[in-house]
Amino acid sequence: MVILETMSLQRKLEILSDAAKYDVACTSSGVDRKGNSLGMGNSVACGICHTFSADGRCISLLKVLYTNECIFDCKYCANRASNDIVRASFTPEELSELTMEFYRRNYIEGLFLSSGILISPNHTMELIIETVRRLRQLHHFNGYIHCKAIPGADPALIELLGWYTDRMSINLELPTAESLKQLAPHKNRKNILKPIRQVQIGKKLFTDYKGVTPYSDRPVMQAVNVLTDTAGLPDLTGMTDSVGMAISNGISDGRPEPIAASVNDNSYKDNDIKDIIRTGSSLAPYHNRPATKRSFVPAGQSTQMIVGATDESDYQIMAVAEALYRNFDLKRVFYSAFMNVNQDPRLPSTEDGPPLLREHRLYQADWLIRFYGFTINELLDERRQNFNLLLDPKCDWALSHLDRFPVEINRADYHTLLRVPGIGTISAQRIITARKSAALDFEDLKRLGVVLKRAVYFITCKGRMMYPVKLDEDFISRQLLAVKERLPFGIEKDLTYKQLSIFDDANFKLANHDLVGGFLITGS
Amino acid sequence: MKNKRIYLCDNSIDGIFTAIYLAWSSRYGHSNIKIEEKYEGSKFANIELFAEYIVVDTDYNLSKKVADSIKKKISEEAYEMVCRVALSYYEGKADLIYRFLILAFAVGPTITERLSNEIVNRMFRLDRNVGREAHHLLGFIRFSQHADGLLISVIRPKNDVLTLVTPHFADRLSQEKFIIYDENRKLASIHIPGRQWILAQLPKLEQEKLDEIWGIDDEYSNLWKIFFKSIAIKERTNPKLQRNNLPLRYRSYMTEFKI
Ligand code: SF4
Repeated sequence: MVILETMSLQRKLEILSDAAKYDVACTSSGVDRKGNSLGMGNSVACGICHTFSADGRCISLLKVLYTNECIFDCKYCANRASNDIVRASFTPEELSELTMEFYRRNYIEGLFLSSGILISPNHTMELIIETVRRLRQLHHFNGYIHCKAIPGADPALIELLGWYTDRMSINLELPTAESLKQLAPHKNRKNILKPIRQVQIGKKLFTDYKGVTPYSDRPVMQAVNVLTDTAGLPDLTGMTDSVGMAISNGISDGRPEPIAASVNDNSYKDNDIKDIIRTGSSLAPYHNRPATKRSFVPAGQSTQMIVGATDESDYQIMAVAEALYRNFDLKRVFYSAFMNVNQDPRLPSTEDGPPLLREHRLYQADWLIRFYGFTINELLDERRQNFNLLLDPKCDWALSHLDRFPVEINRADYHTLLRVPGIGTISAQRIITARKSAALDFEDLKRLGVVLKRAVYFITCKGRMMYPVKLDEDFISRQLLAVKERLPFGIEKDLTYKQLSIFDDANFKLANHDLVGGFLITGS
Repeated sequence: MKNKRIYLCDNSIDGIFTAIYLAWSSRYGHSNIKIEEKYEGSKFANIELFAEYIVVDTDYNLSKKVADSIKKKISEEAYEMVCRVALSYYEGKADLIYRFLILAFAVGPTITERLSNEIVNRMFRLDRNVGREAHHLLGFIRFSQHADGLLISVIRPKNDVLTLVTPHFADRLSQEKFIIYDENRKLASIHIPGRQWILAQLPKLEQEKLDEIWGIDDEYSNLWKIFFKSIAIKERTNPKLQRNNLPLRYRSYMTEFKI
């Protein structure tokens, strides 16, 4: 291992931002907070992009690792202990000042801090906390902070971090406990889910509470007991067995029970919640909540899963995501196409590029679940475990539910409109508003932002379809495939024959050679 | 048939409102009236031969009357929309606002929902254009640090968005002295801690002077360039996507694109 004792700040920044570049959760949205007369900074709920890097991604936050040292050896990670790379660490002073000076010049919205594990999870967490404590208390920084919590750190430290940050994330890393064991031998599912649960409970508990009472007068932790006893979170019944197992295995490391039960599970409560309740860590130098009037993790928590390093299906991944939204109140789940950065022969090769199109389909499905009222069981099931790579999940769903179409634009309710391909949340709202003053026709829909090329097969205006079309699955799929889908830049390139072969596994039902050929021409 | 009557007004919300007030109360008939905002240099470019020109002096009392009745009889939302459209770079916005208001006073508060109407739709699109640029600039503005900690930023926006972006920075950087200079309009907003920020018309600055103001590099601007470079994923370099998200015109005053 190479350790440079006197490394310049430039060099550190170079190493530690390079090491953070694959992290996807760089959004600063979620809180609206005015500036104050004391310090610097505010926060805007819709989020602000400050620049776009050469790969075209938005830069909103100073995204760095605190350190790329690591005692763990996760197979997918460039910082794993077994790699021989240059290591660097910031100091809390350096990093807090850097953040302030960047913020003043309007380079960033705030800080997104992740880290390798230096010496121990607790030690690392203390350094991270000291950094954000300096920002909040010394510099009176009022902008956005997103921190990764280190799995395995003391619950008291997790809570303390929560009082300083806007968003916290604890990465699930892999969809099942089995995969986690394989690829991240030093992590375990419980150590990941426990802090996620702790933050969820904390958020509920502290809704109106600002961190002004000392840590020792906590009314808090008895309440945790109450909550864990009564937390009637929906379980995963209705989930097919294999997926249900996958998720529950994740939680209890082998014992098949649904996520929700884990909180009420006695052994879990006795051992683990007690950990959470335990008073301030002896390792923690801070026994007080920050004396500033801040609320607890106001922007909620997010997590990230790596896609394509292990062989879970889209169905399994999305079922886990859905459970996280429903049962753990997560704000966002991020999906990260696997890149074999270590060229580790034990992991899938990504020589032809990471599975970006698959990642994109997962994000689309995630969107449908969060904003369009879909459930994962409507989109995929036991027999069809993966998304159709050629069509977006909504078109794909509509095609297999043609009996529900066409819908009448001037009558259908909001939720029905949302399910029409080519109509999004904004255009659906506009339709509802605009049709109050006059019955709408196809011409009007264009102006309201409806993508008619997709929508025409599924709607009527004043009882008429735009063209006489037969509601026939083959016909419509052919038409829809001919409409070039607007994929995020950079993804088109990834549509190669190699990926098309995945369709066989994915039960690709439009196995029409002409179509596939035609698509390849437009898509590549 | 009556001669066309053209009201020439200042290119500002008050100028446009004053003209609207005068045009309306003249009872000359909406279809015989046109309102034009004045542009530097292009004043008589499209002069209409048989029209009667009336040069309008901005009158804040009249302007306020128009503003009040929009808020009262139409809606706060419509008022804000009109104000943003008045900041647009679109030539002909004064007459568009006039047509919109004729319609809006007849229809009432629901006017902003009538997106399928041609005029409302155009207002909506201009409004969005102005709003978008202002929103972009909240992120793309760069300050450089000068003697005494003074922060200076230079921008060249298409639309006149200074009044839309400054409040954000006055809130965010309440303890800082800063100037945001709109080079296209020679207009600057100036903030001093503890006071209300102000707008000031500045004389044209020499390019040299501008470069000097803008060209300052310090430790942190260099660190920022380092960060900007190393955060990109080299294998996924994608100038087209970058350009799509961050149009070239913004880059001339962004630290990380300066060589
Ligand atoms: S703990 Fe984090 S930094 Fe360390 S090897 Fe695992 S993923 Fe990498």
